[in-house]
Amino acid sequence: MSKLGVFDLAVRYGKLTAISDLSLSVAEGERVFISGPNGAGKSSLLSAIAGAVRAAHGRIEMDGEILSGLGVEGIARRGLSMVPEGRRIFAGLTVQENLMVGAGMRRDRSAIGDDLETVFAAFPILRERARSSAGALSGGQQQMLAIGRAIMTNPKVMLVDEPSLGLAPKVVDEVYDRLCQLQELRGLTLVIVEQSSARAARVGGRMLLMRAGRIVGDGDAADFAARDLLTEAYFGGAA
Amino acid sequence: MSLQLLFDALALGGIYAIAALGIALIFGVMRLVNFAHGQFIACAVFALIVPSTDALAVLGLGRLPAPVLIPLILALGAGLAVAAEALVFRLMRNASPVALMVGSFALGVALQNLLLVVYGGRPKAVSLWAELSHPVQIASAEVPLLQLIVIVTVAMILAALAIMLRHTRLGLEMRAAAEDFTMARMLGVRANRVISGAFALSGAMAAVVALVLVAQTGVADVRMGGQIMLVAFIATVVGGMGSLSGAVAAGLAIGAASAFLQAGLPADARPFRDAFLYGGVILVLLIRPQGLFAPVGAKPRV
Ligand SMILES: Nc1ncnc2c1ncn2[C@@H]1O[C@H](COP(=O)(O)OP(=O)(O)O)[C@@H](O)[C@H]1O
Ligand SMILES: [Mg+2]
Repeated sequence: MSKLGVFDLAVRYGKLTAISDLSLSVAEGERVFISGPNGAGKSSLLSAIAGAVRAAHGRIEMDGEILSGLGVEGIARRGLSMVPEGRRIFAGLTVQENLMVGAGMRRDRSAIGDDLETVFAAFPILRERARSSAGALSGGQQQMLAIGRAIMTNPKVMLVDEPSLGLAPKVVDEVYDRLCQLQELRGLTLVIVEQSSARAARVGGRMLLMRAGRIVGDGDAADFAARDLLTEAYFGGAA
Repeated sequence: MSLQLLFDALALGGIYAIAALGIALIFGVMRLVNFAHGQFIACAVFALIVPSTDALAVLGLGRLPAPVLIPLILALGAGLAVAAEALVFRLMRNASPVALMVGSFALGVALQNLLLVVYGGRPKAVSLWAELSHPVQIASAEVPLLQLIVIVTVAMILAALAIMLRHTRLGLEMRAAAEDFTMARMLGVRANRVISGAFALSGAMAAVVALVLVAQTGVADVRMGGQIMLVAFIATVVGGMGSLSGAVAAGLAIGAASAFLQAGLPADARPFRDAFLYGGVILVLLIRPQGLFAPVGAKPRV
């Protein structure tokens, strides 16, 4: 049985159809990249899975349980956590408070402390800045905080929307490094929106290509990267 | 400046600050300007007296000793606000801010009419804690005991609220939700819990204002929440919608300005005190349309 399943999903904003007839399945512990041009519907797909955007049609399942109707917080409480586009950290809260928002639904006090330690070990800068305002962090640090905050909910499935957006390549390296580390440590199922097939290939995993609200390709990220490299060579980077 | 004037300014500003907090707490998490807040105040006032349309008010709950009465009225105010949320605003959770505002107007009118039916339209004399109007000598000033109590109470409420927001789970969730409600929910924060919490606090604030108004004026009037609601709303706008500290600061400032104008204006200009006051408000808003303490990047609710 798949960990996460999407069946015949459609998402509409008024008259605009952002996603139609979309199905996908992600296995437990898998790492899946979603790539595609701007406006392809990648963020809409993640938002629909997290319950933040209503599906016009179709159903979404985690561990065989239908998620629609649980509400945004209900889905989070089942163990699905979102690191959204633009990070959306709470700028007026301290770094530690941001992390603790995610821990609120949990009853296992000692495990919360352990998770905080895990996050601080993965991102030592967050420990250093624990008491300072999250709004004062750099873009890369905010991305780390957004990931750490999601980890604090103790998720089984984590959705990460364009973690590399606006970050220097070296910082992106670090973010992906730690993300993979955390995935292994926690046995996470990861779905990551990433525009660059080369980056996805380097990190390694399966890749879904989206275009105009549909999935138009499914395969190993390395194969997509090789193909994009060819296209670029012939057509000068129009891919 | 006389010491007496300082106490007047603090007491009036303090009450405005508590009323403004009642508005700002709900706006913070729901982007709802609750125009029924004035009627919450009025309901808490009338809860003190026995329901009857007689001109003469008979104290009911109001006869209880203060240590029982105060928590009881605060709980009633909180309960009324939570019920209003559950029965009215929850159904409108996905409505536009304008629709929500109109809904709050409607609720306010409904509550006011309910009070009119049960208690009649004439203002009634209510004597609550009459012994507190005794003056106390402080240095050169003669200050009514009630005024001192009001100032201390306001300070304690502000401190308690600050501690609650900083150091409790609900406080953390309310601050996170005020910044980005959907993000908070995506981290498992329960929308209903946060919103009910904000309404409960807001309703308790309405009850505090009600107790102070009755004790100060000795009157129960169906319309008495409306005036202070208007001031409170203006204070939240001047302070920056969504900023709690802004609402408190602006409430204090408006109360203080009002007291100073009352004392400082020449006698024949005094009837126009509010014109001067709101002229100042307009000036502030012309210079800073977003208010004095507009919070950074407040995202839309739910
Ligand atoms: N909240 C919204 N309201 C209206 N249209 C939206 C909204 N969010 C996204 N869209 C539209 O839906 C389409 C898909 O957007 P999105 O999911 O953000 O794509 P991507 O993340 O792949 O860039 C785009 O045409 C976009 O303009
Ligand atoms: Mg996107």
